[in-house]
Amino acid sequence: MTHRRRVMITALVFLLPTIVGTLIFRLIPIGWSFVLSFYQWKVFDTATFVGWDNYAHIFRSPISLGVFVNSAVFSLIYVVGSVVLALVLAVVLNNGLRSSAFFRGAFFMPFITATVAITLAWRWIFSTRFGVLNNILMGLGVDNPPAWLADPTWALPAVALVSIWKDVGFYMILLLAGLQTIDPTLYQAARVDGAGPVQRFWKVTVPLLTRSLFFVLIIAIVRSTQTFEITYALTNGGPNGASTTLAFFVYQKAFVDFDVGYAAALSYIMCVILGLLTLVNFYFRRRWVHE
Amino acid sequence: MSDAMVMPSSRRKTATLVMLYTVLVGYSLITLAPFIWMLITSFKAPSDVFKIPPSFVPTMLFTDEPFANYTEVWTKRSFVTFFLNSAWVAFMASLGQVFATSLAGYAFARLELPGKNVLFAVVLATAFVPVEVTIIPEFLIMRWLGWIDTFASLIVPSFLVGAFGTFMLREYFASLPRDYGDAAYVDGASPFQIFYMVYLPLAQPALVSVFVIAFINNWNELLRPLLFLNSPDKLTVPLGLMSFVNQYEASWTLLMAGSVISTVPLILIYILTQRYILQGFVGGGVKG
Amino acid sequence: MIYHSLRAALVFGVAACPVLAQDVTLQYLSWDPEQLEVERAAIAEFEEENPGVTVEAQALPADKGYWPKLTAQAASGDLPDVFMMSSGFVQEWGAAGNLLDLSGVISDDELAAYYEGAASVGVVDGQRVAFPQNWVAPVLFYNIDMFEAAGVEVPQPDWTWEDFRSAAKELTVDTNEDGRPDQWGFSVYGRYAHVEPWVFRNGGRYLNEDMTGLDLNDEAKAALTFLTGLVTEDQVAPMPQDMEGIRQQDIFPLGMAAMWVDGSWNIANTRTIVGDNFRWGIAPVPMGPDATEDTAAFYAWADMLAVAKDTEHPDLAWKFVQHLTGSSRSASDFLGGKVPAYIEIAESEEWLETDQMPPNKGILLEIGEDNVYAGFSPNWSSWRGYGASGAGGMNGELDEVFNGRKTVDEAIAAFTAFGNDVLSR
Repeated sequence: MTHRRRVMITALVFLLPTIVGTLIFRLIPIGWSFVLSFYQWKVFDTATFVGWDNYAHIFRSPISLGVFVNSAVFSLIYVVGSVVLALVLAVVLNNGLRSSAFFRGAFFMPFITATVAITLAWRWIFSTRFGVLNNILMGLGVDNPPAWLADPTWALPAVALVSIWKDVGFYMILLLAGLQTIDPTLYQAARVDGAGPVQRFWKVTVPLLTRSLFFVLIIAIVRSTQTFEITYALTNGGPNGASTTLAFFVYQKAFVDFDVGYAAALSYIMCVILGLLTLVNFYFRRRWVHE
Repeated sequence: MSDAMVMPSSRRKTATLVMLYTVLVGYSLITLAPFIWMLITSFKAPSDVFKIPPSFVPTMLFTDEPFANYTEVWTKRSFVTFFLNSAWVAFMASLGQVFATSLAGYAFARLELPGKNVLFAVVLATAFVPVEVTIIPEFLIMRWLGWIDTFASLIVPSFLVGAFGTFMLREYFASLPRDYGDAAYVDGASPFQIFYMVYLPLAQPALVSVFVIAFINNWNELLRPLLFLNSPDKLTVPLGLMSFVNQYEASWTLLMAGSVISTVPLILIYILTQRYILQGFVGGGVKG
Repeated sequence: MIYHSLRAALVFGVAACPVLAQDVTLQYLSWDPEQLEVERAAIAEFEEENPGVTVEAQALPADKGYWPKLTAQAASGDLPDVFMMSSGFVQEWGAAGNLLDLSGVISDDELAAYYEGAASVGVVDGQRVAFPQNWVAPVLFYNIDMFEAAGVEVPQPDWTWEDFRSAAKELTVDTNEDGRPDQWGFSVYGRYAHVEPWVFRNGGRYLNEDMTGLDLNDEAKAALTFLTGLVTEDQVAPMPQDMEGIRQQDIFPLGMAAMWVDGSWNIANTRTIVGDNFRWGIAPVPMGPDATEDTAAFYAWADMLAVAKDTEHPDLAWKFVQHLTGSSRSASDFLGGKVPAYIEIAESEEWLETDQMPPNKGILLEIGEDNVYAGFSPNWSSWRGYGASGAGGMNGELDEVFNGRKTVDEAIAAFTAFGNDVLSR
C-alpha cells in the first residue's frame, strides 16, 4: 500500500464520525426543516403544502423584514465589538503582567455564569429610574438619561452590549491560545530593529494572529445569529419588537405561534445570507490570513 | 512570554502600567459585579430582594440558617440529582467532542482526501442553522432512535460531530510545523502514528480548550435537555433553574442560589485547566 | 486519550440502556412549578389509591419550557397522558384532534359540581376536550393604607370610571417634591390582563363576530383612550418605560401605585412582596360609561387539564384529572387568587382565607357568577402579544401608546393590520 493511499484511508477513518454525525444529526434535521419551510404546519395539526407562501409572506411582512434589519445591526455591533475588545484584552494580558491569571479569570466569568441570573443584574443596571447606570449619568449632570431597555433606539444596542460582555472572555481565551503559537524571538528581533510596542503589535502580533482572528471572527458571526437567552431575559424582544433578532423571532414563531414552517423559512433566508457572507470571508481569507 | 507593552524609559513604563491596571481593574469590576450581586442575593430572604434602592446586604448570613436557600435548592429541589446528571452529560459530551473533533480537525488540516474541503464547508455551514429550527426534526430522530429520556440523546451526537471544535482544531493543527510529521514519516511512522505520537501531544492546549468550551456549552444547554428528557431523575441543572422563574411569581433567592451552584463547577474546571490552555509558546518545539 | 474515550463510550452505552417499566406510568406535564409542589401530596394520594400506578409529573414554566416541550411532543404524536391546557389555546388544539373527548365519561351530576362557565371553555365543536381545574379573573387591587391616608373611599362595586379617575388623581402624590410623583394613583401596561378588563367592562370587543379578524368596536376604542388618558394626560399612572427594571406585577406590592388591575393569580405574589407593609384589597373593575348591565362583561378564563387523544390509559387519565380537579383537593391547594373550578371547594370558608390580605376574596366568586367573556381566538398569543411574543402584537403597540410615542389611533391601525394578517394565516 502506498503512503498516499494509507493517508487517504486514515483520513476517511478519521472523518467517519463527522460524516455519520453530520448526516444524521445535522443534515437530516436541516433538510427536513427545509422541506417544512414549504408547508404550513401548525405543529399540533396536519401539515399543508403551501409552496413559496411562507417565503413570500416574510418578504411582504414589515415585522419580518424589521427582524432582519435588527439582526444585521445586532451582528455588526456584536461581532465588531467583541472581536476588537477580545483582541485588545488578549494582547494586554499576554505580556506577562503578574496578575494576568486573575484578570483572565475575571474576564471569563460572565461567559460561564448562568445567563438568566446574570442578565437580571443587567436589568437592574439599565433600570430607567432606579438603575446604577442612570444614577451615575444623572450624577454627571445628564438630565434625562434614556430608558435603555424600553427605548426603541437603545434596546437593541443594550442587548448587544450585554452579549458582548458575556462572550468577550471566551474570544479572549481563543485569541490567547493563538498568541501562544507566536515565537517570542520575533518580538526580540522586532525590538532590535527599533519597533515600538504599537509597531510590534501591527507588524508581528496581528499578521501572525490572523489565523486565530479569522477563526474567532467566524465563530462570533455564528454566535451573533443565535442570541436568545439574553434577549429573552433582558427585553423579551421589546419594546414593540425593537430588539427582536432572528433566533428569538424563530422561537416565537415555532413555540408561541406553533408555526413551524414559517420559522424554518425564516432561518433558510438567513442561512443563504450568512452562507454568502462566509464564502466572501473565505475568499478574502486568502488575502489577509497569514498561512 | 512577549513583552510588547514594555516601554524604554522607566517613568513612562510606570505611567503605562498605572493606566493599564486602572483599565483592567475597572473592566474586571464590570465583569465581576453582576456575579457578586448574584452571590449576595443568594443569601437574602425573599422579602429582602425587593428593596428600592437595592440593598447589598446578604441578610441571611446574620440569621440562624445562613445557607437556607442553598439547602432548599440542593435537597428539596433535587439539585443534587440535576447536578450529577449535568456533570455526567457535560463530561461525556466534552470527551466525545475532543475525540471526534481532534480526528476530524487533523484530517481536515493535514490529511488528503478528495472532497474534504466540501465536507468541511458543510460542517461549518450547518452551524449557522439555529437550533430552534432543527430541534423538532432532531426530536423526531431521537425518538426514532429510541433515545428520548436517555442521556444518549445528549451524548452520542457529541462523539460524532462538532463544528466549533473541528474548526478550532483544524486551525490549530494547520499552524503546527510540517517538519515534525515529515521527520516521523522518514522514520517510517504510519499516518496514524504521526497523528497520535507527534501532533496530538502538541495540540494539548487546543484539545483542553475544546474540552472546556464543550463542557461549558453542554452544562448550560437548555433546549435539547428540555425536549429530550422527561423523567424527574434525569433532568439537568438548567431545567432545574428554570422552575424558579414563573410567569407570575419568581423565587429570585432560589434562582440565585441555584445559579451559584451551577457556576461553581465551571469555575473549577476553568481554574484547573487554564494553565494547560495557556502553557506558552509551542510552535518552536520547546514544549509539548 | 482515544482509548479512554472509547472505553468511556462503552461504559456509557451500557448505562444508557432504557429500563423497562413494569407498572403503569402516567405522564403529567404542568406549566406551574410552584403549583406542582403543592400538588405533590394529591398526586401521592392518587398513587396510593391506585396501586401499580406511578405518576411522572414534570412542571415547566409556560413560555420557556412548557409550550416548546408540548410542541415537540405534539409533532411526534407523543403527548403526555395528562397536561395543562389554557383557554387561549384549547380551541386550536382541540379542533386539530389532539385532545380526548371526555363527554362520554363524565355524567351530568358530576359536571354540575363545577362552575359552568369554566367548564364550558373546554367544549370545542361539541366535544369536551379539556376540563377546568381553576379559573382566574383580573380585579382591581387597591392599597387600603394609601386610600385612608388620602381620605378617599376605597373602590366600590358601583364606581364609575370618573370615580376611579378622580381617586387616582388624589392618590398621585409627589412626596419629596422633585416634580415627579413617588406614589402613583394607578399603574397600567399594554398587557392583556391590564387592558381587557376595562375594554370588556365597557362592552368593548376586539374581534369580529366569527373571530376571523380584528375589528375594534367604539366601546373598545373608548376604553383604550380612557386608559391612555390616565397615563399621558392625567399622569396618574407612570409611563411603562420609566418603571423599566421593576416587573409590572411588583409595582403595586412595592407600594409605588395605589391601584392596579391584573389577574387574580397575582394575589399570591402580592402577598409575598407586601408582607406586613400595608393593607390591601380587591374590587371588581368598574363598569364603563358606554356599557349596559347586559353588555358589560368581566374578563375571566379557566386553566384546564386535557388528556391526550392517543393515551394508552384513557380511564386512568380521566380518573387523575378528576382527582386533581375535584373533591379530593383542599382549598389550601389553590394558591392565592386561583378559584377552584369545583364549586364546593371555592365556596368553602377555608378558600376565602379571611385571615390574610385581601380580606374580600369572595368578590371573585361574585365575578364568576356575573357576565363573563374571554375573547380568545386562534393565534391569540401572536396578535395579542403574549409570553415570548409579549413585546410584540397589540401588547407592544399599546406600550408605545402609554410611553407617549404613538397615538391610540396609530396603534389601533398598526395592531389591527398585524392581527388580521396573523388571523388570515
